[in-house]
Amino acid sequence: MRAARRAGAPIWLVLTWLFALVIAMPARAQVASLEVSSALFVEPSATSQLTVINPTATLAASPASWLTLRGNYEADIVSGASESLKGGRLSNVDVVTSATKFADTRQAVTGGFTVTRAATHLGASYTYGTEHDYRSNAFAVNAGADFLQKNTQIELSYGRGFDQVCTTAYRAADAPSSRLALDNSHGCFTSDVRRAARDISLDNLQVAWTQTWTPVFATQMVVSAALQHGFLGNPYRSVVIAPAGDQALENHPDNRGRGALGGRGKYYARGLRTTFSANVRLYRDTWAIWGQTYELDGERYLLPWLRVLLRGRYYTQTGALFWSDDYTGGEPATGPRGQYWSGDRELSPLSSYLVGMRGLATCEGHPGARVASLFTSLDVSLGFDLLKTDLHDFTLGGRKPDDTLALLWSLAVSGGF
Amino acid sequence: MRISKLFRLGHPLRGFLSLPIACAALTSAGCATVRPEQRAVLADPSMQFDAQTADQTALEHALDNREGSTGGGSVRGGGCGCN
Repeated sequence: MRAARRAGAPIWLVLTWLFALVIAMPARAQVASLEVSSALFVEPSATSQLTVINPTATLAASPASWLTLRGNYEADIVSGASESLKGGRLSNVDVVTSATKFADTRQAVTGGFTVTRAATHLGASYTYGTEHDYRSNAFAVNAGADFLQKNTQIELSYGRGFDQVCTTAYRAADAPSSRLALDNSHGCFTSDVRRAARDISLDNLQVAWTQTWTPVFATQMVVSAALQHGFLGNPYRSVVIAPAGDQALENHPDNRGRGALGGRGKYYARGLRTTFSANVRLYRDTWAIWGQTYELDGERYLLPWLRVLLRGRYYTQTGALFWSDDYTGGEPATGPRGQYWSGDRELSPLSSYLVGMRGLATCEGHPGARVASLFTSLDVSLGFDLLKTDLHDFTLGGRKPDDTLALLWSLAVSGGF
Repeated sequence: MRISKLFRLGHPLRGFLSLPIACAALTSAGCATVRPEQRAVLADPSMQFDAQTADQTALEHALDNREGSTGGGSVRGGGCGCN
């Protein structure tokens, strides 16, 4: 918590400074915006319910027509229970009752700017994130240009993260099968000799091409590549790796290369007065996960100030090359997969189905007037999504987990000054 | 190697080369097809490729923690009424 309080101070300074800047400006046109939002994520379960509350606040200000400054604060307040031991149907270990309660708060602050010229823009940002067992420092830069009367837009972005995760203090020379998982975060990032901080480096590169084809049709293609290096497992998770019930800290490869290609289109159907979007994303990584995402949504103005969006999404992926539901059995259905072992359901073969909606109300002030005597415009949005995951292979001691249905609510209020 | 050979059916580089060429052709075909005064619909928020709405950000945050893939998401761009 001490670390969390330290992280909270700079963002309030930034937000206060930006707010003072906005108030000091003459109210000619919108020069700033403030968005406050919160999301609630719930995974109901008899043994491992998870609740995440995600409040965020973003303040943006434009002290000059070519410059936008931005400050953001967000937190993840997580509570629930999770199984810290993973075993499959042959492991003969009571995994379900190993679920332990936990609570943690992740906080992140971001500061950044964007410089905009007639047909180009350049931006940069820095983010610091902290929680009891994880620290994150990341910077990102992006640059974009418009061509052909703004019908073509190219955007490049690059991000670099320097993260640290807390683990037990094993030595690199120790056999992975002898490493132990954390049972709590006490002593993390202190001089405690039972704890160690492991580095994780993250590189992300993205190129996007946006093209308008007709007055009602536009497309976008995005190619992204990412490299991760360091401790890429869960420091709390143990995996049963021998028929006798021996457990060891989850052991993932130290490197992961990831690539994705996304294509999407937006079309406004004048007859239906509705904007339709289609989105396809293909993903592949060096852990041999092959993922596909298909998404459709439609958005329509029910009233001049109210628009409603309905969406549906289907996702499917294969498992990682080293994934096995049970590392104690024999090939091919269960058994070891080389030198690595994992209890991460994200690395198992799975599919997910999502339906959701969002309503967004906009109130624009008349020229020379303000909404509630303060805002040039005010937006309120309310969203709800239902996500069902079908784990093809993952079990907890041979039993299918019951926390595969997730509900997500979001509420955001955004005002322009 | 003659360039025409690269485009023969079954050549491993055929698909790889076809994509950027098709993109370039489509882009040039679409040169300035939409004039600034025709951008009323494109400028509407529902036509923007911006994933930074609060509900979309929250959803992507949740999905990132539940699926093994990431990347390739929307970025700013699309309709722009300015000029």
